[in-house]
Amino acid sequence: MVVKVEKIIPSKNIADTDEVISEEMDMKKKKYLRGEGANLKELKDKKLQGQLAVKEELYGKSATAAAKAEKWLMPTEGGYLEADGIEKTWRIKQDTIASEVDILSSRKQFDIVLPDFGPYTLEFTPSGRYMAAAGRKGHIAIVDMQNMKAIKELQVRETVRDVVFLHNELFFAAAQKKYPYIYNRDGTELHCLKEHGAVLKLQFLRNHFLLASINKFGQLRYQDVTTGQMVANIRTGLGRTDVMEVNPFNGVVAVGHSGGTVSMWKPTSAAPLVKMLCHPGPITALAFHPNGHLMATAGMERKIKIWDLRKFEVLQTLPGHSKALDFSQKGLLATATGSFVQVFGDLSGSQNYSRYMTHSVAKGYQVKKVTFRPYEDVLGIGHSMGWSSILIPGSGEPNFDSWVANPFETSKQRREKEVRSLLEKLPPESIMLDPTKIGSVRPERKKEKPTKEDIEAQMEAAIEAAKNIPMKKKTKGRSKPSKIAKKKQEAVEKAKKPFMEQHTNKRKLTEETHLPKSLERFVRKKTAA
Amino acid sequence: MAGMKRKSREGNKGKAAFKKKKNQRSSGGADGRRKRTGPRLPNAMLKELQLPKRYTDSDDDEIGSGDGDDVVVNNDFYEYEEEGVAEEESKKNRRFDPVQNYQYELPDDFEDENVPSDEEDGNDDEDGQRGDDDEEEEDDDGRHSRLLQEITGLPTDAFDGKKKKNDVIISEAYSESEYNPSRDILDGDGRISIQDLLDPLHGKPDHGKLRKSMSRMAKKSMPIHAPLPKTDQEQLGRRAAYDVVQGDVTKWEPHVKRNREAPTIYFDEDKHVGFSTVGAIAAEFEPRSDFEKKIASLFNDHEVVEAHRKDGARLLELNKISVEDVRERQDQLAKMRILLFRHEMKAKRVKKIKSKVYHRLQKKDRLKQAGAAIETDPAAVKEQAMKQEFKRAEERLTLKHKNSSKWAKRILKRGLDVQDEGTRAAIAEQLNQHALLSRKANNMKESSSSEESSDEDDLDETSDGSDQDVAVKLLKKAKDKTAEVLEGDEELPASGVLSLPFMVRGMKRRKDAADEEAKLALEEYESSLKELEDKNKTKTQGTNILTGRRVFGAQKKQAPEPKTKVTSDNYYGDSDSEGETDAREIGIGACEENNFSGREVHFDPNSLREESEIAHDSLFKSFDDVARDPSSKTSYEVSISADDSWKKMNDSSVKRKQTKSSNAKSGISLQVTEPVEIDEDSDTDSGGEMVDGILTSGIKSTYEIPSQEELIRRAFAGDDVEDEFEREKQDALNEEVPEPEKPVLLPGWGQWTSIQKKRGPPSWMLQEHDNAKKKREEALKKRKDANLNHVIISEKRDKKAEKLLTQTLPYPYTSQEVFEQSMRMPIGPESNPATVVPALIRPEVVKRSGIIIKPIQFKEVNPHERAQDNKRGGVQSKKGGKSKGKATKKKTVDQKR
Repeated sequence: MVVKVEKIIPSKNIADTDEVISEEMDMKKKKYLRGEGANLKELKDKKLQGQLAVKEELYGKSATAAAKAEKWLMPTEGGYLEADGIEKTWRIKQDTIASEVDILSSRKQFDIVLPDFGPYTLEFTPSGRYMAAAGRKGHIAIVDMQNMKAIKELQVRETVRDVVFLHNELFFAAAQKKYPYIYNRDGTELHCLKEHGAVLKLQFLRNHFLLASINKFGQLRYQDVTTGQMVANIRTGLGRTDVMEVNPFNGVVAVGHSGGTVSMWKPTSAAPLVKMLCHPGPITALAFHPNGHLMATAGMERKIKIWDLRKFEVLQTLPGHSKALDFSQKGLLATATGSFVQVFGDLSGSQNYSRYMTHSVAKGYQVKKVTFRPYEDVLGIGHSMGWSSILIPGSGEPNFDSWVANPFETSKQRREKEVRSLLEKLPPESIMLDPTKIGSVRPERKKEKPTKEDIEAQMEAAIEAAKNIPMKKKTKGRSKPSKIAKKKQEAVEKAKKPFMEQHTNKRKLTEETHLPKSLERFVRKKTAA
Repeated sequence: MAGMKRKSREGNKGKAAFKKKKNQRSSGGADGRRKRTGPRLPNAMLKELQLPKRYTDSDDDEIGSGDGDDVVVNNDFYEYEEEGVAEEESKKNRRFDPVQNYQYELPDDFEDENVPSDEEDGNDDEDGQRGDDDEEEEDDDGRHSRLLQEITGLPTDAFDGKKKKNDVIISEAYSESEYNPSRDILDGDGRISIQDLLDPLHGKPDHGKLRKSMSRMAKKSMPIHAPLPKTDQEQLGRRAAYDVVQGDVTKWEPHVKRNREAPTIYFDEDKHVGFSTVGAIAAEFEPRSDFEKKIASLFNDHEVVEAHRKDGARLLELNKISVEDVRERQDQLAKMRILLFRHEMKAKRVKKIKSKVYHRLQKKDRLKQAGAAIETDPAAVKEQAMKQEFKRAEERLTLKHKNSSKWAKRILKRGLDVQDEGTRAAIAEQLNQHALLSRKANNMKESSSSEESSDEDDLDETSDGSDQDVAVKLLKKAKDKTAEVLEGDEELPASGVLSLPFMVRGMKRRKDAADEEAKLALEEYESSLKELEDKNKTKTQGTNILTGRRVFGAQKKQAPEPKTKVTSDNYYGDSDSEGETDAREIGIGACEENNFSGREVHFDPNSLREESEIAHDSLFKSFDDVARDPSSKTSYEVSISADDSWKKMNDSSVKRKQTKSSNAKSGISLQVTEPVEIDEDSDTDSGGEMVDGILTSGIKSTYEIPSQEELIRRAFAGDDVEDEFEREKQDALNEEVPEPEKPVLLPGWGQWTSIQKKRGPPSWMLQEHDNAKKKREEALKKRKDANLNHVIISEKRDKKAEKLLTQTLPYPYTSQEVFEQSMRMPIGPESNPATVVPALIRPEVVKRSGIIIKPIQFKEVNPHERAQDNKRGGVQSKKGGKSKGKATKKKTVDQKR
């Protein structure tokens, strides 16, 4: 058995030939090219052709440079678990792993027993440095995972259903019994978000600074945490649910309902973007792959389905109940039911998920939440008796980008980043199913023809207006009632005319087209106006 | 007249000469002798008719030279002719450029042009004088051979033979002229044929060749075609021009192409906008003034530089100063410090003095000083004028003194008569001041002129009695005063500000200037005194000098000049001032020019002569007058008041800002102990499940009995979910792609009979309905979720998000696909390596501000060669031409192809 946990730089095989390297580079370059360039040969415009050629060349350079940078700046490879012979990776226990890995990594295996405050839900900051844990019965703790120090512990003395960090570890929102509250790191209550009501699940959209919540009545609300403005208040109309997850790729919020449907929402439309029937029974859990293309749903009917969101088709159906689902950065899928945690992995990269690891927390513990710790091979498990942390080799991204998330962030960096991220805050309307479409050409809109009623109503209005035109009083018999009546009549006719013309034109056209073949030659050619 | 003569003669002569030459050649019988005798009569007659005097000369000329082009030219109508003067010399007198060639004289000119004139002309003159026949002849022959040489282009020796042959001369009785035409002329045409020219060459080595070519030319001579029509000519011309221009233009093509294809055009190459650093500016520095040069020499001193370059230890040596120098400097510094301290102390003491009298006196002094400054210092005068002007403007603006104050108004209201004397006086004073201040512009000049006039008045009064005496007296007095000023060294104040060295220096300088002026004035006084005395003496003799009409200018002054010189010499001999010689010179100069009032010294000679006035030297203006000068006084006061007001303003404007302390409210709310309400959910969850939680390893075993509520909810929720979803989808589709309305007729229409009812609505309506239905079907098929039964994808437009999309395809793009592919890469620094970002976002034109874009310059480029790609910031950029070298990225284009 070989256990590799990240941060262990594997000794490179010197036998790597140039070919392999160049192939590798090509692969990486392709990744950074983000798709293919246009076929320039087909362009008729030579100038554009030249310009695009220059552009493409620059893109190529950029991709090459990025690939090189990746090669040299991100040398750490992810860990993995390899079975020898008939060994199965999922048979490997945490104890065995602990004995194999270095001390630092083995420290990440622990159980925290807090029996009094009910099942715990966990939330990591994007850098994986801090964790918020909220016990059902009012215990909220912010923990620095690097030195395992509890930064703040507080007891709110009411039900806490969910907790999320806002843009950094300084603020977090907790869904409590009646309302969600926003606290700062010191445990000071900053806001009470009464409009949200009794929220069952909270999510924070980092790029848009939106706090999304779904409450007991199935109302989905978006609130901008920078301005406090309520961006959207959507009634899903699909009943109470506490299954809600944000697609990290595009910011679309997916909600799993008791009817077996998953609906995806954006703040700018009242109707769901997508509504899909995933399971025949209620949906118990939902998770998105970090790349946004995969979604895992778990239904009551003992099935876990993995969906391809580009095609909205099921990729794979796995058996099993699941109360909690989570994808790791590297794409491992953790599910939990009761006290049993299972990790699926697509180690072959073919999105064919198979059992990778299993783990059972102590007997009788009911797992409420599983969540992978970013940039670490660690899975956090929140359960009814506290929380525990286990090692899942190969789950975390081994290289971190300090511009994205820095586990070793200093307070100054944090401040800078806060300002930066605020400046780069995306507007809520930029949430859409395919954000790469931003900047592209607007799809052609069908010209909406006015219905007959509309036209008639318009005509009526025009006639009415024509009738009510005040007449000037004129002398020399020009204001005779007969004359006035005539004038009015004329005005009405004039007002009617455009509408009538539309009708007649249409009629004429249709008539023309339906003339018998033999008669068509007699039709007068329409003279150009 | 002369011109006319010349011309007519010229005409004759030209013809004659021509004939004569032909004669010589054809017959070989013409010679100088004939010439000499032949034309004399008619020419002489002509000349006698017109210009008898010059007959011999011109005739000689003509005869001597056979043709005198130079002479002809010299005999221009307007020219002054000097006989016997060489031609070159005589040219000096020409009034305008001589014309060497008259067109009608071509043949003669032709001949003469190449004859060195100096030689020839000299010969001519001599010949003319000597009348030497032989030489004449020789000359003629030489000339003739030269003519031939000129015409044929053959060497001279070719013609020598001819000359020898022609030794046998058939002489004619008369030289040829129109009266004596040669045989040729009489025979037929008098032209020289080629044959004529060839004949003498017979037997010469080149003769055969020459003849052949001649004959060939003669044969070949073809009739000249008529020229092409003008339009054709022009067309041809245009065509040729077009070719040239096209070539010219096409050479630019590679340039233009390169620039067009370049993604970025740089204009900032080798452009020197200016100094960018202080160091650069300093490097350019060149010492100009003496001071700068001195400093520079010190800076660039070899020793110093070397010392610097080494370890600087030698600098100390170089830095050595003598003990005396240091001591001196220290002493000086100490003195200065003491002086400053004393001055300070004095100022403090003075400031404390509260005595009004003292201050009044002080003020007076100050005014006096200011007045003095005005007299001596033009800058001060200017300043004063400015101040005055400002006062005036202010007064005109505010009308402060025009009874507009509260006090004045009150007094006026109560009536002036009621007031006591003092008040009335005060009011009057105010009005007076207003009038003074708001008087029209140029009041400075006015006041000065008024002063002058008043002075004059005074003088007039005094001079009423006896002009002379008074003048003398006044002059003497002035002289005394000046001498006093000159001699009496003003005591330098031993203490106070004025005792500071720079002040002392300044004062000294001023005093020197004043002294100089005084000396000048003194001189003037003396001279005028002398004059007066002289006059007094001469008065008895002739008073008419004085009473006569005025004479201006220097003449009058000239008489007393020597005396003044003497006196001034004496004077300066006595005095021991430094600038004595200078002053003397100036004084003399001034005397000579009688223009004494060059500078501020208002001294006009007229007044001196009039003796009624004494020059108003600014030096002698009494300070008191100036001090009393109301304008300056008021201005001073106002300036003070202005100062005060400004201070007040300052005070009022200074405000203290109060900092407000904001109370930070702590939002910490302590939770009061309340009975903890826990959801039914949680109760059931934690209660039940935990109780029967079993550690199981199988999946099946994880299924636990859900709570009652959950069970109920589930029981109702899971009812035929798929059907429900189907319905939902249908609804959604109907909403987004509405079903066409069924054709309905208005109630009562078309339903009269059963037939109508049976027929139903008209066919066109049905057809329309069908069409709409078809359309809908198509639309539904096009939907993304058409084949996905379990998915509803909303295709509603999001109006808010529409602003993130472009409405139309941007210009150069014609296909949406290409556009989107070109937009797929983000170009910001967040998503690209730092090395490439600048290239990605580089603008089309790179140009620093301030750089002038020069017109494109032609530079040879190989059109087929791709310009070198210079790496610049990780990007390709080209520095081709000086002004516009641009990189083509064609390479990549080719690759793509």
